[in-house]
Amino acid sequence: MGTQIKLAMMATAIAMTFTSAQAANLRVGMQDDPDALDPATSGTYAGRIVFSAMCDKLVDIDAKLEIVPQLATAWTWNAGGTEVTFTLRDGVKFQDGTPFDAEAVKFNIERMKSMKDSKRKGELAPIDSVTVVDATHVSFKLKSAFAPLLAVLSDRAGMMVSPTAAAEGKEFAANPVCAGPFKFKERRARDVISLEKFDGYWNAAAIGYDTVQYLYIPDSTVRLSRLQAGDLEIAERIAPTDLGAVRGNPALALHTSPGLAVSHLMINVGNSEKGGALGKEAKLRQALELSIDRNVINKVAFAGEFTADNQMIPPSSVFYDKSHPAPARDIEKAKALIAEVGGDAPVVEITYENSLADGRVAQIVQSMASEAGFQIELVPLETASAVERYLAGNFQAYIGNWSGRADPDPTLYSFFGKDGSQNVNKYGNPDMDKTLGEARASADVEQRKALYAKATGIYLTDLPTIPLYHPNWFYAARADIGGIAIYPDGLLRMTSVKPAK
Amino acid sequence: MNTSNATLQLPGTSGTNKSVLSRCLRQPGVMIGGTIILLFVLVAVAAPLIAPYKPNTSDWMAIRQGPTVAHWFGTDDLGRDILTRIIYGTQASLLVGIVSVAIAIAIGVPLGMVAGYFGGIGDMVISRITDALLACPFLVLAIAFAAFLGASLENAMIAIGISAMPIFVRLTRGQVMTVKAEDYVDAARLLGVPHRKIMLTYILPNAMAPIIVQATITMATAVLAEASLAFLGLGQRPPSPSWGTMLDVARQFLTESPWMAIWPGVAIILLVMGFNLLGDGLNDALDPRRDD
Repeated sequence: MGTQIKLAMMATAIAMTFTSAQAANLRVGMQDDPDALDPATSGTYAGRIVFSAMCDKLVDIDAKLEIVPQLATAWTWNAGGTEVTFTLRDGVKFQDGTPFDAEAVKFNIERMKSMKDSKRKGELAPIDSVTVVDATHVSFKLKSAFAPLLAVLSDRAGMMVSPTAAAEGKEFAANPVCAGPFKFKERRARDVISLEKFDGYWNAAAIGYDTVQYLYIPDSTVRLSRLQAGDLEIAERIAPTDLGAVRGNPALALHTSPGLAVSHLMINVGNSEKGGALGKEAKLRQALELSIDRNVINKVAFAGEFTADNQMIPPSSVFYDKSHPAPARDIEKAKALIAEVGGDAPVVEITYENSLADGRVAQIVQSMASEAGFQIELVPLETASAVERYLAGNFQAYIGNWSGRADPDPTLYSFFGKDGSQNVNKYGNPDMDKTLGEARASADVEQRKALYAKATGIYLTDLPTIPLYHPNWFYAARADIGGIAIYPDGLLRMTSVKPAK
Repeated sequence: MNTSNATLQLPGTSGTNKSVLSRCLRQPGVMIGGTIILLFVLVAVAAPLIAPYKPNTSDWMAIRQGPTVAHWFGTDDLGRDILTRIIYGTQASLLVGIVSVAIAIAIGVPLGMVAGYFGGIGDMVISRITDALLACPFLVLAIAFAAFLGASLENAMIAIGISAMPIFVRLTRGQVMTVKAEDYVDAARLLGVPHRKIMLTYILPNAMAPIIVQATITMATAVLAEASLAFLGLGQRPPSPSWGTMLDVARQFLTESPWMAIWPGVAIILLVMGFNLLGDGLNDALDPRRDD
């Protein structure tokens, strides 16, 4: 009897080993449940992680944020920088068998520009028209020179979906069809998204897994313990305070990259009623900046694992401006600036999303700024109400978390351009608008660097927002999984990921 | 007519205040539970005198340090002394526990008495509303009220109190209906004692025991509910400490810095145990069927 049970157990174990060897499955622990799985309407970072396995883009970025080919193998600009022609990869098919060609590119760009709920309209606005040259050549005509276009096309705006599937119209996001290495299999809301290998992928030989599952596990500590227990192969966004546990575990490997994101303290400069004295007086904002020690924030809240910095653009970008280093904390100077304006230091109300990270940052800022005389009140709100107030500009100060982009333009223009989509604190400076406009039109990297350095000087003087730090990306994985490479965009590129031999 | 009141020995009036008190004090539960709560009250009142540090002062060089001579309970993720924050957190937790239950009793018990004693349409209306409120999970109700009222500790107390009120209505109503069928209530009614007096002197004392027990349980729930509300930004505002928010933050460091979770956890357990022991003891002491 006992022997029989043992035999049966052994047989089961052998059978299980066999199954796992035959069908390799990769389980990824995710902090958020993605929103709509349609590149045109998606608005979450978690969604971008899933897309990076499912939807190829016209171009991609590499670790140095340089543009590299993906569905387009080459591109040429005209002399004025107002038209770009792409050479498309030959023989590519969408996951439903529809061929990928110039017509499909035209369809996709027009779909994202015209679809009612499209979130890509702003990013693609510089494109005036798309012309099919032949099956493998397509050209985009721009309204005016717009150097950041390729960087825009390296993200969701450059993801190509099957025109056949999209034309059916209904519920595309529930059954997305793209041209990436993995195709959509099923989704259970707030639980799991399952993908399976697409055998017709143009680079199918490189794919290492048969199936990928993205499991929604919001708590970073739980994600880590499930990874430690062998319940996951990869976990994204490990908390900086948990990194010691990953580094000390030989069964796990840590994969990191500097990020593009920035966390910053926005101040309502355009609404005198909400912004108060702090919104009106740049000197008070400078005093607030001087009362804060960014290194302490990084050390206390993030175990020193993030990058303390005073700019919106991260140091990993070639456009980072080295001529404006973060000022050291100087309480006396802060007090002197407050005295120059006259009266007591103002009461400042900081609104933020009630996450542990922002909560900690807010309390550290509160504690440090109080030494200069600032009396800071904290208003933590759950995400939906916080975002609502943010978009309505209904705050005095707000801890913003911006995911960043490969090119500096989308970040700087969104926050500091007079009609920027994130300019909710209503900052306006004609000099800034002029500088950003010139940088958009220039294709010369050195010239753009100089223009962005000038823009950095402008916003660091006006301080409509006080940048605090740049988060870095931390993925933890089982140590025997190969081919994981995290770039500054923080996405998990699935093609190269290989199971243990 | 004049003699009847003097000769009738009714259960509701039999024990004088003195004998109730002595019966209570003979219960070990009342003594231990009462002492625990009294100690917490003393700690809350004397917080500024006994706390070794200021509750919101950070020591950036001592982040998440284990217990040391300088910081007996260790420090938290922002380098603040945990002992100090536990001491100051007592104020918030006790206040929420006591005030919100007081609100719940102040509204719930009179409604339950009216419903149970008079019956009829009043009973129907009160009972249906109570049923509707009880159908909503306690915490969801509290979140809804707190969101409506706005974020502050005071509003959290009101929200928790209103949400906890229906259970007291139902409990009181049931008790009153049992007690009002007793012979001595009939006797009092026949003697022409006014309704109000019957309710307050004959029925309420005999219906009180389970309400007191429920109150202690609800106080424990209220302390935890405040923690949940604080997490949603609807309770105690940071950086002011409350045990619930301390626990919530500690959750993230459970393996690396367990002391951050242990002390507020122990404090909550002690306070809840104090309330429960007290309730249990009072239940025994006040039970009219108990023979002593």
